[in-house]
Amino acid sequence: MSDIRLDQLTHSYGETRAVDNVSLSIAEGEFYSLLGPSGCGKSTTLRMIAGFVTPTSGRILIGGGDVTRLPPERRDIGIVFQNYAIFPHMSVAENIAFGLRLRKVPRAEIDTAVEGALAQVGLSGFGDRYQRNLSGGQQQRVALARVLVTKPRILLLDEPLSALDKALREEMKFWIKDLQQTLGITTIYVTHDQDEALTMSDRIGVMRAGRIEQSGTPREIYEEPASLFVTTFIGQSNVLDATYAGAEGPRAAAMVEGRALSAELSHALPRGSAAKLVIRPENVLMGPEAADRNLTQLPATVIGESYQGAMVRYRLRLGSQELVAERQNQAHLARWRPGETVTVGWDPGRARLLPAD
Amino acid sequence: MAELALSEVHGRRTGGRRLRPTLWWLVTPAILFFVLFFLIPIASLFAISFDKGAQGVITFQGNLTLDNFARIFTRSLYYEAVWRSVWLGATVSVLCLIIGYPLAFVIARTLRPGAALLLTILVLASMQLDMVIRLYGMMVLMGDNGLINTALMKVGLISAPLPLMYNSFGVIVGLVQVTLPFMILSLVGAIKSINPSLEEAARSLGSTRWHAMRTVTWPLSLPGVYAGTLLVFALAISSYVVPALMGGWKVVTLPIHIYQQIAEVGRWQFGAAIGVVLFGTSLLAMAVYILALRRQAGGRM
Repeated sequence: MSDIRLDQLTHSYGETRAVDNVSLSIAEGEFYSLLGPSGCGKSTTLRMIAGFVTPTSGRILIGGGDVTRLPPERRDIGIVFQNYAIFPHMSVAENIAFGLRLRKVPRAEIDTAVEGALAQVGLSGFGDRYQRNLSGGQQQRVALARVLVTKPRILLLDEPLSALDKALREEMKFWIKDLQQTLGITTIYVTHDQDEALTMSDRIGVMRAGRIEQSGTPREIYEEPASLFVTTFIGQSNVLDATYAGAEGPRAAAMVEGRALSAELSHALPRGSAAKLVIRPENVLMGPEAADRNLTQLPATVIGESYQGAMVRYRLRLGSQELVAERQNQAHLARWRPGETVTVGWDPGRARLLPAD
Repeated sequence: MAELALSEVHGRRTGGRRLRPTLWWLVTPAILFFVLFFLIPIASLFAISFDKGAQGVITFQGNLTLDNFARIFTRSLYYEAVWRSVWLGATVSVLCLIIGYPLAFVIARTLRPGAALLLTILVLASMQLDMVIRLYGMMVLMGDNGLINTALMKVGLISAPLPLMYNSFGVIVGLVQVTLPFMILSLVGAIKSINPSLEEAARSLGSTRWHAMRTVTWPLSLPGVYAGTLLVFALAISSYVVPALMGGWKVVTLPIHIYQQIAEVGRWQFGAAIGVVLFGTSLLAMAVYILALRRQAGGRM
């Protein structure tokens, strides 16, 4: 059963549609990420769900009830902001007690609940501190404790990790995900960071220009991108000019540099139309690895090599186009120098034919 | 907290970087001007306030006496004026706060920047016209034959003109009109510096708009409230033009006494002593206010 449903949600600032006809269903206990570049409408969508922005049209349902016209305080949501928004004039304990006081919880119960919440986020004994004496990571935990202690139905997280340094971000990623799973709380997570979205989410909605371009599991988003935007925004992709030459069994035949290659196809394309063949750098095999006859095989010239520790990246020339391959840096694998010719290949199931943007 | 308040309104304190000696010449003109046209005149007034009264003499004679001050504190004409000035200043500060806060909130938090700019320009525009011209405008409005009284009598709501001017009411309205922009600008700065996410966090935790305003916005805007009320108080208590025009010499405050003693009677020594008392009263009132705030904040601020 869906816990949150967005029904043709739209928000316009004058002429521009910041959020354009977004429909979405999120299941109870699901961790859903809205991922996209800045200005794609992900934050506005979150703020509409929270009740800070009124939709121009469309509906928001939480637990089956229409909350579109309800003020924020009556939506049963908790939100953690990018800047944590810890009340600076209250101690940590007062911050956490804020929501409980509003709910007229008896004094003694509040104290117990605050202790419990502090323990849950690993900040026991921090109750008397003030925001100015807390690190970014600690403020983050206080913000979560303050929200979770009120047991909201929905947890909204607005880029909560972007103000933290890299090491802490890695740690918090898993910590938040663990906490979310323990509590089983339905969560919407807004981020522009694909790593965060891929590691933490049950499902991801990739947004562009106010629309959800693709909604799916991290694996679907990464391996079965629905558009060129998705495949280039999430991770890296080689995008080769191609022409659709018609169906070939379950797959499509595409003409690339005068050769017929086979690739996955999920869109209806008119025969002979211009398209793009996309293949991830880690799926491009070279030399002996590419020897299997079931693979798509092409001759290429190495034009650049860059050493990246665990990986080696090769820039390859393929006719008039360029291709990047990323190979593991392991002793048993061969290395190539610029100028050498090499056979490259890939599993046709890993290549996709997408309509040109 | 309150001292900090003033500095916060005028921008965050910059880290105390030492001024390089080669840059001293940049501040010399300002310092010279300040010493010549502020410190020296004030110091000389302070000095002659302890001089024996002598009509028409404006330089320090060295006949030291406390007679001038004794006179102020023994004659009800003068010590009542001290109290009246403080009372007027406090009333005007509170009224400015009550009238100014909602407007400042709207300016600081309004969604469209254009609307906020327009409101700010309106506030500032009221400061562009000379105070005397504005006060004459108010006299046209509030006089016995002014717009308000004429209109009310025409409608038949009143038979005789309401006493809107030449009393404390007129002076208070005039002072509020003159000092309100200072209050609003202090408050706008303070409210703007509050992160809007804090109010939103309060809302999502269950606060109504009003509750969030009371428990989050208001306490965090207190630095601006303190700065604004102190500024308005200082301006109101030392205003001469407003009590003179709107009070018609009937609401006698300390600045009115100073003017009368110096400009009309020519007793500079006594006028200077009233000036010193005014200055002292202002400092004392502010000190009391700040101490009261400290106590109320319970050491948290």
